[in-house]
Amino acid sequence: MEGGVSYARMPRVKIRELKDDYAKFELRDTDASIANALRRVMIAEVPTVAIDLVEIEVNSSVLNDEFIAHRLGLIPLTSERAMSMRFSRDCDACDGDGQCEFCSVEFHLRVKCMTDQTLDVTSKDLYSSDPTVSPVDFSDPSATDSPDNNRGIIIVKLRRGQELKLRAIARKGIGKDHAKWSPAATVTFMYEPEIHINEDLMETLTLEEKREWVDSSPTRVFEIDPVTQQVMVVDAEAYTYDDEVLKKAEAMGKPGLVEIIARQDSFIFTVESTGAVKASQLVLNAIEILKQKLDAVRLSEDTVEADDQFGELGAHMRGG
Amino acid sequence: MNAPDRYERFVVPEGTKKVSYERDTKIINAASFTIEREEHTIGNILRMQLHRDPNVLFAGYKLPHPLQYKIIVRIHTTSQSSPMQAYNQSINDLDRELDHLKSAFEAEMLKFSRDY
Repeated sequence: MEGGVSYARMPRVKIRELKDDYAKFELRDTDASIANALRRVMIAEVPTVAIDLVEIEVNSSVLNDEFIAHRLGLIPLTSERAMSMRFSRDCDACDGDGQCEFCSVEFHLRVKCMTDQTLDVTSKDLYSSDPTVSPVDFSDPSATDSPDNNRGIIIVKLRRGQELKLRAIARKGIGKDHAKWSPAATVTFMYEPEIHINEDLMETLTLEEKREWVDSSPTRVFEIDPVTQQVMVVDAEAYTYDDEVLKKAEAMGKPGLVEIIARQDSFIFTVESTGAVKASQLVLNAIEILKQKLDAVRLSEDTVEADDQFGELGAHMRGG
Repeated sequence: MNAPDRYERFVVPEGTKKVSYERDTKIINAASFTIEREEHTIGNILRMQLHRDPNVLFAGYKLPHPLQYKIIVRIHTTSQSSPMQAYNQSINDLDRELDHLKSAFEAEMLKFSRDY
């Protein structure tokens, strides 16, 4: 079978926008199953690091231990290293303890309020044993020297005399286990719409009727050219598949005025990252994880034929 | 208190094979593959890829029950092929497609950052 025919496709990619926490790109020449698999893997199966165990020594704040522990778990941590880390569940270096350098990262937090001013304890007060895994920095690089710019995530506020001292263990995990491990704020894709206007039918409308029809779309998809008085498509992707313009055309007695088809082989992806992983790296990690999953489900020499259904009769039927 | 642990959804228990198959006893060239700890992510791309193979007469998958963490993929092929062969072919093709997608995305990233 090796070297035989192949039914693999060759998808094409075009990036429209790329920032650290945001990416928008076109995916073509593939089908919805691949696009949806990528979306599902990006949301729930790309691993990141998040705080998973908290030992609190001192907590005289107004929030109880469990509340603070939960808030710590939700802080996104930079997770470039997560793909190569071990899951603590599978780690043989610490016998499943989940606290060695191969499968976990230790954090410390020690804050005490000594002034009359309320003290904000933020993610910036968390100190990591590994500099590659640290709370995500949300500072805006363009705003310099503003006191509001040093923004960490507020964990708790302390008044004079109140203290918080704790040790936290962060581990590798996937969003399928708990949403705190999901690297994606959201990942969506839309089918690219193909819009065809029936020019003959459109010409039978008056300018007023054209304006009325164009305005029936809740998003600005169509516009009237002021020079030629023709209706044209200004932004096909603004279409939300709500069928409003189709219903309006029917109500005006002009069914078939416009035809809108969702292309089955073109997708526009929007990826928004929490900051744990860069948006572009998130896409690459998802492809890698999907390949690993495919390798895991390959048939191998030791794949056995299941005979639960027939018990001993199964062995007989196979001539064993 | 009696909810199953969440990791049970994706960790294959000890002593269980990730993939096993069962030949159909009534139809020739038909088999069911049981894939443990997978769901629609793998099931859907596998099914759609199998549909593109002209030797495959039928390909479908199901999740028997939401608390049974497995999918059952049923494949029926012509006599020119076999379910095992079609199954492996589809996985190889998907792997190739993802390789290509990864290269395309990396090349596009380089191009984009250069143009930027």
